[in-house]
Amino acid sequence: MKKLGRLTEYVITVLIILSINFFLPRMMPGDPFLFLSGDQGEQISAYSDEQIRQYKACYGLDQPIFRSYLSYLADLFRGRLGQSLYFNESVGHIVLRRLPWTVFLVCGAILFSTVLGTALGSLSAFYRNRLLDNVLYGFMMFFSEIPAFLIGLFFLFVFAASLGLFPLSGALTSFSPDRSVVQVLKDIIHHAVLPVAALSLTRLGGMYLLVRNIMISIIPKAYMRTARAKGLSRYRIFIRHGLRNALLPLTTRIFMSLGTLVGGAVLVENVFAYPGLGLMISQAVMVHDYPLIQGIFLVITLLVLSANLMSEVLYRVLDPRVKDGEG
Amino acid sequence: MKPESGRIHMTCLVGLVALILGSCTGPRTPDLPVMENGRVEVLRMEGGDWGYPTPFAHYPRGPGGFKMALIFDSLLERDETGLIPWLAESWEISDMGKTYVFTIRKGVIWHDGKPLTPDDVCFSFNYASKHAATWATVFGVIEQVETLGGNRVRVRVNEKGATLLYALGTCRIIPAHVWRGIENPRTYLAPEALIGTGPYRLTDYSQEHGTYRFEAFDRFWGPQPRVRVLEYRPVGEPILAFEKGEIDLTSVPPDLVPRYAGNPEFALVKSPAFWGYRLVFNMEKSPPLKNTRVRQSICLAINRDELVEKIARGAAVPGEAGILPPGHVMYHKPKITYDFDPAQAVRLLQDQGFHVADGQGEITGAPLLDFHLLISTQEVRMAELIKERLGQVGIMVHLISVDGKTRDARVRDGDYQMAIIGHGGWGQDADYLWSRFRENPSLSPSTSGRCGYLNPGLNVLLDKQHVALDPALRAKLVADIQEILAEDLPELALFYTADYTVYRPATYDGWMAMFDHHALSHSKLSYLDRKDGVH
Repeated sequence: MKKLGRLTEYVITVLIILSINFFLPRMMPGDPFLFLSGDQGEQISAYSDEQIRQYKACYGLDQPIFRSYLSYLADLFRGRLGQSLYFNESVGHIVLRRLPWTVFLVCGAILFSTVLGTALGSLSAFYRNRLLDNVLYGFMMFFSEIPAFLIGLFFLFVFAASLGLFPLSGALTSFSPDRSVVQVLKDIIHHAVLPVAALSLTRLGGMYLLVRNIMISIIPKAYMRTARAKGLSRYRIFIRHGLRNALLPLTTRIFMSLGTLVGGAVLVENVFAYPGLGLMISQAVMVHDYPLIQGIFLVITLLVLSANLMSEVLYRVLDPRVKDGEG
Repeated sequence: MKPESGRIHMTCLVGLVALILGSCTGPRTPDLPVMENGRVEVLRMEGGDWGYPTPFAHYPRGPGGFKMALIFDSLLERDETGLIPWLAESWEISDMGKTYVFTIRKGVIWHDGKPLTPDDVCFSFNYASKHAATWATVFGVIEQVETLGGNRVRVRVNEKGATLLYALGTCRIIPAHVWRGIENPRTYLAPEALIGTGPYRLTDYSQEHGTYRFEAFDRFWGPQPRVRVLEYRPVGEPILAFEKGEIDLTSVPPDLVPRYAGNPEFALVKSPAFWGYRLVFNMEKSPPLKNTRVRQSICLAINRDELVEKIARGAAVPGEAGILPPGHVMYHKPKITYDFDPAQAVRLLQDQGFHVADGQGEITGAPLLDFHLLISTQEVRMAELIKERLGQVGIMVHLISVDGKTRDARVRDGDYQMAIIGHGGWGQDADYLWSRFRENPSLSPSTSGRCGYLNPGLNVLLDKQHVALDPALRAKLVADIQEILAEDLPELALFYTADYTVYRPATYDGWMAMFDHHALSHSKLSYLDRKDGVH
């Protein structure tokens, strides 16, 4: 029954979010086909009233809003996300082409910041109040306060422009058709290093502090003293007895950070002209492309909800007490 | 196009790059290919997704239309001085400007090898009348199109107008054998949709990566391409990409101009100032603005040179009271000028019975003039300066900062007292003055913001120039219009930005701006051998 209740909660959440996704963009003042002003130096094509009427009829925007809402829900059940008003393409295609790049960036950043944050946080905890801890703590506090785009710019200038170690922008070398799969993969990783590093660095501080605090609270525990008394190696104590107990909050943090990481990806994708979904969100909002906004937010919602669901499942696996408590 | 929040960050980013680059030594010189006999194999430019380059699917913002124009020709083309023959060898205008006969060039072939016929031209006009292209030059304009003998096409229009030759001449010509039967051209993204008669063919496009690759069409009818391949690639920071040799041309922030000026390796070009900001007045919503003297006082109290210096960092031209920018082909310097003169502004306001400042910045009583100024988040600094200057003559200004789309919608709906709008198109045909000050406010960037202003004398002149076919007469009428606008100030041009562009002449030197558009990379003539001419 509880499982059914949880599932109902998720379904209701999705339905509420779907409705918000639909109505919120339409409540914004402005018109997707209205172009009065542009960015500096930018050329814009203004539409006449007649042209706007034609486009609105073509995209069904001349329908009453409630009828549009029902059509939107009906289309969703048929697996259709609609047609982008600005990009002249199916929303599904646009999202599918962009999503893998953002997922790659975000997963890379999660992996990198988790591994490094865990290692450094544990080191700091083990050497608490000693030089290493003080240096690491100061370093982490400093970097976690710098916005991702500034770190990105710094990396861009030093590692790409000055040292020439990495490409300046993009996710792939353009116009290089005759390459093997391995070469393409290497190229993708080469392009992703700086954006992932920039995004990771902003997450690293939080991860480091979390692990450091957990480990500081774990180290004085009796079972750790017992482990040391048994003569176990420091590595074994650290991994099997220390880190294992840090897994629960760490798992929650990783899954919960998905939403904020997508937000961070918007800025990093801007700096590196990276072709992800983050960049697309801001463009879609700016031009009031309702179907695209709905589609992107729906996908992100589903991703975040899936992450929550996965964290719950993992929690049960990692901590049998949760299951027992329910039973 | 950049996101609203991203825009602020990108501004910081450009500033930081300027700081970092400025503190370093001069630009480095990567090994780059150079021209041979005036020709080059590949030119690389800043990419970004601007849509599938058909006349119907490219995006309304940004340079997508100019990429489309590499593939699709029109009957006329634009060079530095005006319209030139292109797919049409010649044209005649009759019936007081209501009938246009174009003689279509022979020997032109489509990219699929089929010949261009006058029927294709007729089809293109009819199709564009039914389905609006993104650059909808002829939508709702054409009454009838028919072929005549001798490769000629006759077009009858609904109403006569001085700009119709431009509108008809720049309509893109599409192949009837491809587009016939296509009901929704905006979503028609098949490879055949890219068959044109232009000098380039699209060989690679990626929407998500923002890359385009064009190759010269070896059977192009006209001047031969000097560049075989044009590549547009994603660029995060254009100046760094230019210095690394990843792109061959870029615009330069004003702070970085000294880095390239005087260096023979680089050519630095100041573009015509055809992008500008204007302060629009809603005289219906705020009756004091109906008073011409109040508007003149506002103009005298705002230091436009200061805006150029502090906001555009010198890379702009102060706004003209007659609206048209100094680089415009029909620019006329009005007799009445408004140099920054707060004391005169105060005198004018006092003459009108407004109790305001004493001219020394000291307000001597409760200010009677009080306005809301609607701006987008991008114009906050500019608006703060304007607020400060107007405050010195006792005009209180309250800023309302919203996102760009909201500001646009409120201006369209007349829900503002004063507003700042920035857009391009100031170099286009002077008929935009007719749209701005004669017609009802509509949706184009050049036509919004006229609320409550009416001058019957100006209307007569605007109507006359609107249909005048004699260029000399029209120039005289437009000059008179600028005099009236300078006197009346129904809106205030604040400044027109003049971008700097840098390139390496050894790599390629064919760049040119069109007579009504500023960007060097946008004209397809920039890539063609113009010594050949168009015969």
